[in-house]
Amino acid sequence: MDKLQHRKQVSKLIYDRTPMDLAELAVAEAVRMKPLPGNRTATCVTAEGWADASKLTWEVRANSRQHYRRCRKRSFLCFRWGRCADNAVRSYKYSPLTFLPLTLFEQFHRVANIYFLLMVVMQSVPAISSLRWYTTAIPLILVLMVRGLKDLASDLARRKSDSQINSQSCDVLDSQRFCTVMWKDLCVGDVVRVHKNQIIPADLLLLCSSEHYSLCYVETADIDGETNLKYRQALSITHNELTSEPSEKGLADFDGVAFCEEPNHRLYTFRGYLRWRGEDHVLNNEHILLRGTVLRNTEFAYGLAVYAGADSKILRNCGKLRVKLTHVDRLLNKVVIGIFVFVLLLSFFMAIGHGVFESQVARDAPALSALTPNGDFIYSAFLTFWSYVIVLSPLIPMALYITFDVVHVVHSLFINWDVEMRWEKNDSPARARNTSLNEQLGQVGHLLSDKTGTLTQNHLLFRQCCIAGRIYGDASISVEETQQMDLSWNPFASGQLFMSAPELVQQLKARRCPFSKEFFTALALCHTVMPERSKEGIAYKASSPDEEALVGAARDLGWVFHSRTRDNLTVLELGVTREYRVLAHLEFTSQRRRMSVLVREPGGGLKLYCKGADMVILERLLSGCPCLEDTERALESFAQACLRTLCVAVRGVPEELWEGWSKILTQAETMATSERDSTLETLYEDMECDLLTVLNTKAMLCTHMQLLGATAIEDRLQEGVPETIEMLRKAGLKIWVLTGDKTETAVNIGYFSKLLDPDTSLLEGQELREILHSADPGYSVSKARQADAWCVNKEMVWAKTALVISGPELAEFDKEPGIGAKLMGLAAQCQSVLCCRVTPGQKADIVQLIRKHSSSITLAIGDGANDVNMIKTAHIGVGIAGVEGGQAVQNADFSLAQFRFLQRLLLVHGRWSYRRISFFLLYFIHKTCNFALVNIWFSFFNGFSAQSMYENWFIAMYTAMYTSFPIQLFALFEQDVSAEGSLRCPELYKVGPRHQLFNPLTIAAMLAQTLFTSLVFFFIPYGVFHDSPLDYQTMAVTVSMAAIFCVDAEIVLLTRYWTLFNAIFLCISFSFFFSVTRLTQQPRLFLLAPDDYFFVGVSEKAFADPLVWLTALLAGWTAALPALIAFTVNIIISGPDKHRVHTISTPQLTEFRSKVKRIDSGRRSPRATSRTAGKGDVITSGTARHRGEPLLEDKLTADNGAIDLKMMPRDRRLPPLPPREPKPCEARV
Amino acid sequence: MSKEVGTENRPDNTAFTQQRLPAWQPMLSAGIVIPGFVLIGLAFIGIGVALFVTSRNIQVLERDYTGVERDSFCYGCSDLKVKNCKCNLNFTLDKLFEGPVFFYYGLSNYFQNYRQYGNSKDANQLSGDKEYFTEPDESCAPYERVGDVPIAPCGALPNSMFNDTFKLYQMVNGTRVEVPFDGKGISWWTDYNIKYRNPPGTPLSKAFEGTTNPPFWPRPAYELDTTDPSNNGFINQDFLVWMRRAALPDFRKLYRRITEGEYAKGLPAGKYTLVIGYNYPVRAFNGKKKVVFSNVSWMGGKNKFLGIAYLVIGSMCVVMSIVMLIVYAKFKFPDEE
Repeated sequence: MDKLQHRKQVSKLIYDRTPMDLAELAVAEAVRMKPLPGNRTATCVTAEGWADASKLTWEVRANSRQHYRRCRKRSFLCFRWGRCADNAVRSYKYSPLTFLPLTLFEQFHRVANIYFLLMVVMQSVPAISSLRWYTTAIPLILVLMVRGLKDLASDLARRKSDSQINSQSCDVLDSQRFCTVMWKDLCVGDVVRVHKNQIIPADLLLLCSSEHYSLCYVETADIDGETNLKYRQALSITHNELTSEPSEKGLADFDGVAFCEEPNHRLYTFRGYLRWRGEDHVLNNEHILLRGTVLRNTEFAYGLAVYAGADSKILRNCGKLRVKLTHVDRLLNKVVIGIFVFVLLLSFFMAIGHGVFESQVARDAPALSALTPNGDFIYSAFLTFWSYVIVLSPLIPMALYITFDVVHVVHSLFINWDVEMRWEKNDSPARARNTSLNEQLGQVGHLLSDKTGTLTQNHLLFRQCCIAGRIYGDASISVEETQQMDLSWNPFASGQLFMSAPELVQQLKARRCPFSKEFFTALALCHTVMPERSKEGIAYKASSPDEEALVGAARDLGWVFHSRTRDNLTVLELGVTREYRVLAHLEFTSQRRRMSVLVREPGGGLKLYCKGADMVILERLLSGCPCLEDTERALESFAQACLRTLCVAVRGVPEELWEGWSKILTQAETMATSERDSTLETLYEDMECDLLTVLNTKAMLCTHMQLLGATAIEDRLQEGVPETIEMLRKAGLKIWVLTGDKTETAVNIGYFSKLLDPDTSLLEGQELREILHSADPGYSVSKARQADAWCVNKEMVWAKTALVISGPELAEFDKEPGIGAKLMGLAAQCQSVLCCRVTPGQKADIVQLIRKHSSSITLAIGDGANDVNMIKTAHIGVGIAGVEGGQAVQNADFSLAQFRFLQRLLLVHGRWSYRRISFFLLYFIHKTCNFALVNIWFSFFNGFSAQSMYENWFIAMYTAMYTSFPIQLFALFEQDVSAEGSLRCPELYKVGPRHQLFNPLTIAAMLAQTLFTSLVFFFIPYGVFHDSPLDYQTMAVTVSMAAIFCVDAEIVLLTRYWTLFNAIFLCISFSFFFSVTRLTQQPRLFLLAPDDYFFVGVSEKAFADPLVWLTALLAGWTAALPALIAFTVNIIISGPDKHRVHTISTPQLTEFRSKVKRIDSGRRSPRATSRTAGKGDVITSGTARHRGEPLLEDKLTADNGAIDLKMMPRDRRLPPLPPREPKPCEARV
Repeated sequence: MSKEVGTENRPDNTAFTQQRLPAWQPMLSAGIVIPGFVLIGLAFIGIGVALFVTSRNIQVLERDYTGVERDSFCYGCSDLKVKNCKCNLNFTLDKLFEGPVFFYYGLSNYFQNYRQYGNSKDANQLSGDKEYFTEPDESCAPYERVGDVPIAPCGALPNSMFNDTFKLYQMVNGTRVEVPFDGKGISWWTDYNIKYRNPPGTPLSKAFEGTTNPPFWPRPAYELDTTDPSNNGFINQDFLVWMRRAALPDFRKLYRRITEGEYAKGLPAGKYTLVIGYNYPVRAFNGKKKVVFSNVSWMGGKNKFLGIAYLVIGSMCVVMSIVMLIVYAKFKFPDEE
């Protein structure tokens, strides 16, 4: 208890201070506090975590099942009680009882549905009812039904998956015995036993495990997508007490109480303490096994269920996908609102017309004037207003939204179903995670791409290395052509080493060179990889592909990393087992950009192995370090060959130094464990810097860092990337590559991936700055360039220029107002843009910049956690389901396995979707408006009395049955150009980014056509029916027929891709009109309900009347004439182009993947590299927080380091190497 | 990475899922659409000519008898105060007016398509449902009841039934010979047989017991045609014709056909007198009344509009195609060379 109070004091102290003096404070506190053995560093704790411990109100009592059964969360209707959730997952929304009310409730959240419900209600008011109630009710019910069925289907699917999850089994302790129960019966407070490879059923507090020190390993792939194993460790108190005696009994007697935070969604933090036997023990994230993770490499783990079911972190963390509105959506909403306002306005004018008619005309006609209620024409006009709102309500396309939804879903399914977007290698198809953005895929103007893992494979191969200044391997020989070395002497060799350096192998086998020996020992020791032994050999589970490649290379060359325990690393060095005791593990962070491991050699010596970004390591070397120049030269050549490089160094550590340092380290770690503040990370960082620099000088005891060499890893471009980029550029997309890499690497990649043409010039640095600061960027640059280019044409100068901006420059520009717009203006004229060394935050800022300064649609594509910001900010986010974790995919709207599938996603699916949906919307609005507008023209001839032009049944069926199927099929199947044709002519894509199909202009044109059509619908029959003996009902049927003729003629003109379905459904809906009209005008129905079927016998007579047919035909034809003329003119003008596409698209399949042989073009080999890319030197401790792009160079530290290093004394332990001997090993061979 | 990769995620490779449904993609070029356009235009012109010729061959005799003008033959009757006014329309036919001749009355500026007017009737009552004889529907208001007595047929539409009468005489050798009018079958079959039924009960007057006639009517419904029970009450042909609302404010309604005796072939040349019983007031709302004699063709009565419209649209198509041809020639031929 005193510990808790103590912590409160500390909290208070720290809360009031700045982070700067926190470091001191932490050390001081650490000394005072009794260290808790067995605990490791705290990971991440938010600042408020310090504030007060009173938030730890969630109390879990072990082995008190009955208690928690009672307080289980329950709910009835909207009442909820109980405190903790049970472990069942209930993602379904409806029960048989609540389905109907709930689904209706949800659906009437939509304004349109409420509006139509209102219409139905109004229609049943006799005074204003100009239509019968069912004219609106039938379509409304259909819409509600379709939507309801959709909800029901997805709910049933959810129920099914729920029950699958809930019926998984787990072992729960029940009075001294473990018995198997289903997940859903697990309770908070239960003690659970988890077997190897079992999924953890709830958030458990790890009590003990079958391994030493109660360690256990979990795989968190389902949570964060990381495939490496992470370890968790029980409190030493529970470990000691519970594993000493037979576990069941001990566990059954366990009566600790865990106090922790209320359930929350923070996956990486956990705060709490365990009160047991009168003592409090602090708990953190390291003690928690999260639901959904998998237990690995551990026989058993025993845990106490802390959060169950809906309270568990993973379920709390399930965010909802944001609703993104597309450009088309927004425009459509405006159109619909416009129509609504138009309806009200029209109704208003019609009501005025009615008033005037009543007062001027009807007054004199006794037959009419008697009908005016009380002779009050203003009241009558008021009623008429509402009547017109009803009569004109079909103008609002009610079925549009639901049909639109269905079309969207099917388009998304088409993306999911596309076999050509499935990557064979890992069986991952494309996924549309957000089903409402399809048409926007056809409108992308800016493509923002991450580099590593997106353009490149992120499947890393160890290609070259430089040991003591000598380069081994040759990266200019491609992977396929590399001769495999004979590694048969090594039973662990995997055959996956694509490096040919027989001399290195000989050296190693002969053990002649201490440098190469140390080099590979470093590779085998300095990492966070977990080995998994199986029959085939050893598989490595690494959090970053770099580590896997390095450890794998060491294994193939005879330094086999064999196993890891908490304190020991076992390495088989050319068959000799050597155990290294791990003394300290200096973790990787993106700021430090290096990691180190301090080990005690089997011989007893202490060594620190360090690897990291070349710049960081080189700074820490003593000047005059042997092989430095050679290594630097090697690094340069690696970079030119586009390889990712890391430097490896070693230093001997004197015992005295270790002893002093370890004390402070232990204290600091304890402090960190107990307090968990992110500021301690800084402290930790300082500690490590001390080790490397400060302590050296102070103690004058230890050796300096000794450079061993450098590794070169190849990260190859993904298949088809250059082709895809070239094609997308042809399609008019502006491609921006945003990377954390160095400028040179990024530019190299730019050339290889055809982002830049060989003759593209770069605009960067000072020149860029000058241009941006000049008054007229465009002018000045063309002038500047004119000097060396003959080309006077401004645009020509720009077309071959690429903008290269670095992160620091961006940050600089950010501060100046107005620069953003200039930059965008400049970028718009340039070929492409490369942003180097940008942070994840900046990536998102760039997206924001583009969104702010241009109307173009942005698509961000990336694969890592560092791209999440960008993906979320862009209009469309695409995640590459690749080697890195699933976070990008989790946040993306679409997921692809490979970058090259983007061309199909955009050029084929996107283009089709945009085209289909644009025409679908235009046509849909057109067809609903043109038939409803007729009522307006009719009003002028019926005294503005809101007399409907149509039979009620026709109105009810028109949108739902007579005209919906053909356009829906159009929206699903239409292809103006085949998939192959779309890919062959990427230029066709340009229509989308320019918003050419669905924009205010096309909408206006469509509305003008609608107006014309409705005029024709009315006035041609008017000419015929005027002063004739034909009655109103015949005219109603004639106009209906004309509308059907016109609408069907227009869909025929629109459809370019006639499948059997299109033809059949066109015929069906056409004949529906005739058969349903005949049916509803049957005498039998009239006898049942004279009020509803008063059109009895009309169609019978009208369909037999040639005059009606001729009139309807003429009206329908004339109404369709504008569409026909547009169609014909379109063919005449653009015919040959389309024709070309068609004729080229012979049935042969285009090979989607690149078959183009990669030809080395001079010094640029077709490979990608990233020395400092996001994952490049990530040697993480296993937590995702450390991931991310390295931040900007910390120049200050580096300088200090350099100064200190100069003053460092020489190494005592390692034999100093002759300084003037550049290739020591070679000399000895 | 394991070499064996599952295929459970492989989507179905069917024509539908891969969007490769067999389809007909019409390859349209200017060479097809322009001639197509011309052909359609020509077809329309053809129909237009046929309609126009047919329409021209129809004989029509139309006379306004509102009697607004002073020199009009019905001038005396247009005053509402004059009851049972009769006026004579004399006309001469130069040649045979080919039969069968249809005789219409026409009204203009008369809004039969006014919504409230059209709804002002009781469909149930008119289909002979006795319940609604005592309780007429509200929609009939204000012609629902007179005092407490329900009206049958109720509503403004029946109430305003046209009640001018016509008799046609041919002057043969100085004597008037009545041309027989055929008033049967002028209404729709469905109206006569299904939509309108008399209430059960004989005599008809008994069935209408407890109701009164619409205020404008001089006599009750069951006395519309006392000579023929199958033309009386709600199934009176003139009543049915009236009840079928006109589409537009200017309309005509079939009154009689001339199909009997020697006039079945038509009205021979000669002098005729139409005696009009002028009862229906239209002057108040600037309405017009007229009588029309017409014969019919396969397309019904005379209708110049449709033929001309067809001709116009047809020729527009042809003109458009010529314009397109020019555009095509101008812009495309140089390219293709």
